[in-house]
Amino acid sequence: MRTLVFIPAWNEAASVRAVIDDVRERLPDADVLVVDDGSVDATAARAREAGATVASLPFNQGLGAALQTGYLYALREGYDFCAHLDADGQHPPAEVARLLAEVYADRADLVIGSRYQDGVGGRSTGAEGADEPEGGADYRPTLSRRIGTSLFRFFLTLATRQRFTDTTSGMRAANRRVMALFSENYSPDFAEIESLQLAVRQGLRVEEVPVRMLERAGGSSFLTPLRSTFFIFKGMIVLLVGQFRPRRAEAER
Amino acid sequence: MTAAALAAAADPKVHLTSQTRILAAAIAVIFMAMILELIRRDKLQERYSVVWFVAGLGMLAGAAFPALLGVVADLMGVRDTNVALFSIILLLLLGLALNFSVIMSRQAAQITRLAQERALERAREEARSAENGREAERERL
Repeated sequence: MRTLVFIPAWNEAASVRAVIDDVRERLPDADVLVVDDGSVDATAARAREAGATVASLPFNQGLGAALQTGYLYALREGYDFCAHLDADGQHPPAEVARLLAEVYADRADLVIGSRYQDGVGGRSTGAEGADEPEGGADYRPTLSRRIGTSLFRFFLTLATRQRFTDTTSGMRAANRRVMALFSENYSPDFAEIESLQLAVRQGLRVEEVPVRMLERAGGSSFLTPLRSTFFIFKGMIVLLVGQFRPRRAEAER
Repeated sequence: MTAAALAAAADPKVHLTSQTRILAAAIAVIFMAMILELIRRDKLQERYSVVWFVAGLGMLAGAAFPALLGVVADLMGVRDTNVALFSIILLLLLGLALNFSVIMSRQAAQITRLAQERALERAREEARSAENGREAERERL
């Protein structure tokens, strides 16, 4: 049984090495692939130094295309399972291990790490002092982020009839069925939300697992209020269009 | 229909002077010649030239038989031939722009896939050579 952990990275030279080291420590059996999305800094070099395989896209293609590259690699190289996390240090690899446990146990095809879902036994607030190996501050969403999140949550739940709390989470684990689907169909524009809708519509078992996320180690969020509005608007259209895509049963006919 | 068209030619609502007609025909011919030249120099692919040729022919037809415009305007229920002409051109351009967006989207998807394939190829090579290096080291030990 082989597992691939891939990390989409765009100009993350400052943090990618620490993330890889952490992944290798927490998931010693997994191979690590960094999908370098046309970085202009030393991201690829740092990743190689840390011992990861690097797939370098010749120019920046956006998160969706980068993630798809990872899924494609996992599928073609015959990995049984794959997981991905962000390169900015927001996603503790220890939590990725918990996502992978779900797909190993075949309880789901696609598992999403949710930073909002409750019931982690006080992971996000209570037991901080006792259990904080990463040493970062816990994730705290901004107001515009919260508005966008709840809107997407509402509409995605409406579209899929399944409850999702963290629709834009970039921490996921998947099996080969998901690799096959995402390596062919993955929107370059609106990766996270559309992929969830797609997976559910294709009859895959999608599950959310509450995880702890940290404040980003470096860099700032790309979301300004204007961009957020645009992002939300685009997301609505994507979801609406997605509702008219054929389901698997219809597509096979 | 042709009789009606010819009758419409005499209709005062289509008033193109022979000067304008010659000018329009000349422009249409030059336009089509330009397209041919672009194809000849490999600057334009045949499959994208068809639509422009049709546009050029339409222009030529309009110059040769101005009555056609009157017929089209009648069909559209527009009293002013000029309005009909501009509406048609506007719609055509709109359709063309949309057509280009579709082609662009397709090419963007193709470029993305090409970039991914290249990245994967190199990653695979890298992984294999790393594997070989490890094996060589094991043999040396």
